[in-house]
Amino acid sequence: MLLNGLITGLIMGGILSLPVLGVAVIYGITGIPNFAIGVIGVFGGFITWYFISYSMGLAIAIGIVSCFIIGYVIQRVLLTPISERGGDSTLFFIITVSVGFVFEGMLRAIFPRPNISLELPRIGTISFAGFSVEGFKIIALLFAIITLIIIRLMEEHTEIGKSWQATSQNLKLAKLVGIKTTQVFSIASGIGCALACIGAIFWGSLYNLQLSSGWDLGFMGFIVAVVGGIGNIWGGLISALIMGMVMSFSGYLLGGEWQSVILYLIVIIVLIIAPKGILGSERSL
Amino acid sequence: MKRYENIGTIGILLIPLLFALRGGYLQEVTGYVYLFLIQGYVAWFLFFKSGQPFFGYSVTMAIGAYGTIVLNEIFGWPLLATMLISSAVAPVVGVILFVSTIRAKGFYVSMTSFLLAIMFPQLINALQDFTGGRSGLYFSGITEFIGYKTFYVIVILMTAVVASFFFWIMGTKTGKILTLISENDKLTQAVGINTFRYKLLAYGIAGFISGFGGALYVNYTGFISSIDIEVFTTLYIFFIPLIGGSSVFFGPVLGALFVILIPELLVPVERYFRIFFGLIFILVIVLLPAGLAPNVQRLFKSFQKKKM
Repeated sequence: MLLNGLITGLIMGGILSLPVLGVAVIYGITGIPNFAIGVIGVFGGFITWYFISYSMGLAIAIGIVSCFIIGYVIQRVLLTPISERGGDSTLFFIITVSVGFVFEGMLRAIFPRPNISLELPRIGTISFAGFSVEGFKIIALLFAIITLIIIRLMEEHTEIGKSWQATSQNLKLAKLVGIKTTQVFSIASGIGCALACIGAIFWGSLYNLQLSSGWDLGFMGFIVAVVGGIGNIWGGLISALIMGMVMSFSGYLLGGEWQSVILYLIVIIVLIIAPKGILGSERSL
Repeated sequence: MKRYENIGTIGILLIPLLFALRGGYLQEVTGYVYLFLIQGYVAWFLFFKSGQPFFGYSVTMAIGAYGTIVLNEIFGWPLLATMLISSAVAPVVGVILFVSTIRAKGFYVSMTSFLLAIMFPQLINALQDFTGGRSGLYFSGITEFIGYKTFYVIVILMTAVVASFFFWIMGTKTGKILTLISENDKLTQAVGINTFRYKLLAYGIAGFISGFGGALYVNYTGFISSIDIEVFTTLYIFFIPLIGGSSVFFGPVLGALFVILIPELLVPVERYFRIFFGLIFILVIVLLPAGLAPNVQRLFKSFQKKKM
């Protein structure tokens, strides 16, 4: 049971780490807590489901690119102008929740089914120590970790990554040295939403996606990010893996209905004891 | 001028008493709007006027509501006593959160209370043997004894009492200190005021009134389930003073009308409801950052000038 709980938890945490990474990228760079990210990600998941019968690869690409564009446009048209007018975290919380309402409404209006499951190809099972796990789940976990490493490497070694760092550390100075901060923000937002979409696609393939899944994924992504230290990518991953295991073990021991209660209770306690998260935030809220 | 405006607001709040004569749909919806207005005034007082970043309004409301049913139906306690006891328990949540997050600042405290608002319905679901979970609990409540119409009148009067109370308290020394805290907490401490005591008092007052509002809610609707207290309820409550305008006393009244009536008006386009709802909120926040009330005030003043 222990091994089973551990592996299930790791996989859940790995998938969860994608929207967490999205939240971390957006918040770390723009300083804006975007609560619509999960709903936008699930919107992309539904788009992928709609096109999947034509070509799987194309459908996934359409979903991810759509989310990138949505994230980019929302940041460019709505969030950056409000930020420049001096909007605070509470205002962004309200605005992004309202954006989430719009996209959840669009899901209800556009797609005929309230509940979908994405049929991605399975690649058998991997067995060890008397325990077998679906190969696809391992891929999902590896993908999450690789994505995280790529983002981290991008941040350290590429021009765009350096402009991200500069913008998040000192916005005025970044503007002075000629960095197009508005564009940096928009790209960060686009990448964050695209990551949430990948998370939603994996989630929809392993479990299922409902119209309201976006809120669960978004809120969960956000709180896991807060526990890890919002804006801190490694903290986010560690937190996601721990939270995945908490969900898995509490589900085994107490039953599914207590899973979220225990998770949220732990998060509340962590926030009370260490308000800046496990590894500390790279930005302060 | 401001004083007359506030008294005028209380007067306007009492007008729907007339709907009791006619009854029907208008009365039912108005009662519902007023029950949320109580919560809206709580958010107005605690978040906007006292500067306390609390988002657990649906939780304090739910404690009042569930406490009333459970104590009355399961333990057989007298109804009025259960309403008062559960209202007295409701502030405990806010106070505990406040005391335990005392080291944290601003948005982290908001997040903690917001998480509580997300968690609470799940807890209600997990305890479904007592709470009914998603299927909910039915409650005949006070309306069984005094009738629906009389209780509607009580709801309207209680809302006016709550609004008057907040109007009064913001004019007292306590209210002025709370305003000072919301504007500059450190400065308030620097001049020797024990801000901890005042914040605690604000949480206590807000929690009690929110819990009492919850107790009234469950008596009025005769039913409560975990769906009624989902995290969106806390958002709607928070939207009431935000959309209406927190700087003006009658702001929450406009906000409650807006937040509760817009969904009613959007019933014919139910399929697109959330799109319109979200878009309207974004537009109001972006175009009218101070909320509806200051703009209505400006319109009223320009109309008066033209008349003169």
